Amino acid sequence: MFATLLSLFLRRLAVAVPTLFVVSALLFIVLRLLPVDPAAMSLPPNATNDELAAMRSTMGLDKSLVTQFLIWLGQILGGDFGNSIQYRLPVWQLIGDALPATIELALLSMVVATIVGLAGGLAAFYFRDGAGEAVLDLGSVVILSLPDFLWALLLMLVLGVWLNALPFMLRLDPGIERPVITGFLLIDTLLTGRLDAFASALKHMVLPVLALGISAAPSIMRVLRSSLLDVYQEDYIHQARLRGLSERQVLLRHGLKNAILPTLSLMGVQFGFLFGGTLLVEVIFSYPGMGNLMIDSIRNVDLPVIQIVGLTYCVMVLLISTVVDALHLVLNPKLRAR
Amino acid sequence: MAALPLWLRNTRSVIGLTILVLVCAAALLAPVIAPHDPNEQDLLNTLLPPVWADGGDPAFVFGTDSLGRDILSRLLHGARVAMTVAISASFGAMLLGGFLAHVAGYFGGWADWLIGRIIDVWLSFPPVVLSLILMVGLGSGLWNVILAIILVDWTRFCRVLRAEVLVVRRRDYVAAARLLGFSHLRTIVREILPATLPLLITLMALEMGIAVVVEAILSFAGMSVGNEVPAWGQMIADARQDIYTSPSTLILPAFAVFITVFGFNILGDGLRRSLDTRLTQTERA
Repeated sequence: MFATLLSLFLRRLAVAVPTLFVVSALLFIVLRLLPVDPAAMSLPPNATNDELAAMRSTMGLDKSLVTQFLIWLGQILGGDFGNSIQYRLPVWQLIGDALPATIELALLSMVVATIVGLAGGLAAFYFRDGAGEAVLDLGSVVILSLPDFLWALLLMLVLGVWLNALPFMLRLDPGIERPVITGFLLIDTLLTGRLDAFASALKHMVLPVLALGISAAPSIMRVLRSSLLDVYQEDYIHQARLRGLSERQVLLRHGLKNAILPTLSLMGVQFGFLFGGTLLVEVIFSYPGMGNLMIDSIRNVDLPVIQIVGLTYCVMVLLISTVVDALHLVLNPKLRAR
Repeated sequence: MAALPLWLRNTRSVIGLTILVLVCAAALLAPVIAPHDPNEQDLLNTLLPPVWADGGDPAFVFGTDSLGRDILSRLLHGARVAMTVAISASFGAMLLGGFLAHVAGYFGGWADWLIGRIIDVWLSFPPVVLSLILMVGLGSGLWNVILAIILVDWTRFCRVLRAEVLVVRRRDYVAAARLLGFSHLRTIVREILPATLPLLITLMALEMGIAVVVEAILSFAGMSVGNEVPAWGQMIADARQDIYTSPSTLILPAFAVFITVFGFNILGDGLRRSLDTRLTQTERA
């Protein structure tokens, strides 16, 4: 088992390295299309032309595009992510603050999406050929037609503004001091035993998590239902029934066990989308994560930050798909035997 | 009823098509039927509620936004942006993705390998992030939004269609066409394309819905058509600051996005059910 997992990770790494190289080249080229001069932005407006030329040469902007790219790549590989133009802080520090927040949001949302999606899929399968299925089916199309950021706004309006039931700004109630150990707020509040802060952080996450979870659930539901339908065409289901197993046992022991694998593959893809979806949801709830950092740096044309944030999103997506493949390997006996 | 083509006999397709015809009509007729200029500011009448609420003004049926602009007129004009993007971007993505899918699936070999690797790179970006970065590089404007969506979403067509082409290519009639001396191009166009067309059409309906969402996302982030052109996402973004006082300025454009995307999704769903032979067979069985 360990050997197969290791070989999977090595194979994934062999793909990830060239992928990330191409991604970083793409990011670099696209952002160089911009009609802005990073040198001019790093200097006060009253800088002379000589100072500008000097700055351009320190920043390497007078060299060819390829040389500039290689310099940038070399710096990243050496652990130097550059400095934000607007905050004058190292980019790694900004990412270090923002990434844990986004990971917490994405993971919790995925848990909600999984629970709702699997329950919905089982229900749709259970009520197949009936009115229940039609309702769930129409419901899933309706939910899918409202993108995650509109769910976010709608939930904010109904549960936050009208019912005043839940907070919808930032991560903690005002006045609560934020403990920092790992950077993951939920973990840090627990580690320091600050249950009040933990509860507050959790409450602030309900609306964004619901928005992301609800919009990712229908796809999971649909795939689970259709793979259950496929599995039920197989002989071993008939055989299980002939052996006298109850319908519930057939479903849990044979149906679900086999239908979960295709569902898992889709959930990997879905998790990747969800991770992208955090971007606008964060902006809507002023949630201090990667999405807000991205939009903020785009508005201020903070190129060093945009590049690294873009790259970080890619690294996360590659990580997610590797983890899903590893889970697949662990759960699928056919792959394990190899 | 029997004279209607199969796909029009599906209730979902009909519902979807009806919604979309209405949205299209709104878009086309916007300059004629919009009661106001969508950018005309009436600073004496800001944040008016819709006409059915207390204090509504019949001159502004859906009320006004924080600058006193007529919501109804902006919604109608916003439909123009949404539908232009939906149709052009999905058509472009279909052409690019469909072309590469047929090349990869039919010829295989290094072309398939290369296209597969490009798709891998694309898939490592969340679509929202990639389209935002492209918009940063391209700059705002209607055609840049369309270009960005094409450059992001061609992979959706390419991945699914390539798998379909791989299946179709192995069929006997394709081999027969080659034996009859058909050129590769003719084989693809005359023998393979007709078999992949149903899937292509279904994907296109779904992609139009996605394009509407992406445009709304980009204009919400202020990265789409620019401030002078009314777009739904931008209306939603503007309305956020007035969420306490006039939620209708938020709900109306959100509903416009929803109903349009719903139209495309339910049409796509209906098309899939009636055009996908595998699915219809299993459902009949």
